Amino acid sequence: MEKKLSEMNYEEEGRVKSIEQDLKNKVAGMGIRVDKNLKMITKHPLKGPIVVEVDGAHTSLALSIADRIIVEVKE
Amino acid sequence: MRKILLIGNPNVGKSVFFNRLTGANVIESNYPGTTVDYTKGYMKRDSKDFEIIDVPGTFSLEPKDKAEEVAVKMLEEEREALIICVIDASKIERGLYLALEIIEKGYPVVLALNMWDMAEDKNMQIDIEKLKSILNIPVVPTIAISGKGFKEVVLSLKKAASVGVNEITERVGEIK
Repeated sequence: MEKKLSEMNYEEEGRVKSIEQDLKNKVAGMGIRVDKNLKMITKHPLKGPIVVEVDGAHTSLALSIADRIIVEVKE
Repeated sequence: MRKILLIGNPNVGKSVFFNRLTGANVIESNYPGTTVDYTKGYMKRDSKDFEIIDVPGTFSLEPKDKAEEVAVKMLEEEREALIICVIDASKIERGLYLALEIIEKGYPVVLALNMWDMAEDKNMQIDIEKLKSILNIPVVPTIAISGKGFKEVVLSLKKAASVGVNEITERVGEIK
């Protein structure tokens, strides 16, 4: 099932399906690219940042950025 | 005086590196973003003085915030500088992304795979010889807090030379 990265649930895992074009280079430096496996670690309240695990490393992303990344989550 | 810039992702130990190289005592903490401004220090090697600059952490050369802007600006202003790219060996992929961006700009780079002990704890195996032959730059495993690998980093500074990214891409192609 496809959903926005920002909509992933706690501990849910998924694979990056697409990233908005102008965002691609920005998040690539943080290890987030198409086909990468991600796991949702934390979602902070009050529209705060989310933390995902990618390649064994934790990376935090602004919610507004996570809104623009689509993932295919594991059923 | 030749300048050496310490560049790397946030929270990889650049400031510990800086303190080791210069004998200074910059504040280190275990969370990212401690260095927002930059710090300068000096190191003597073969009776030559080097100015060492601790640059704020950045994920890429496309700045997203103030600290990253400082990092990118400093790199642009110091066209003649040598770069020690400090990366977290246990998060090698994102580190290499930045390293390649710096190499692409034509700077001579020494790559320090810091937190080597952490990578070992995570059972990661990194083929240093292969990395060296692909990138054609000095690659040194280091543990900044214990001082492992520092001698080699300093010794490899004179071997650092700029490398064409096209050559690297070709060599990666050969390996596949």
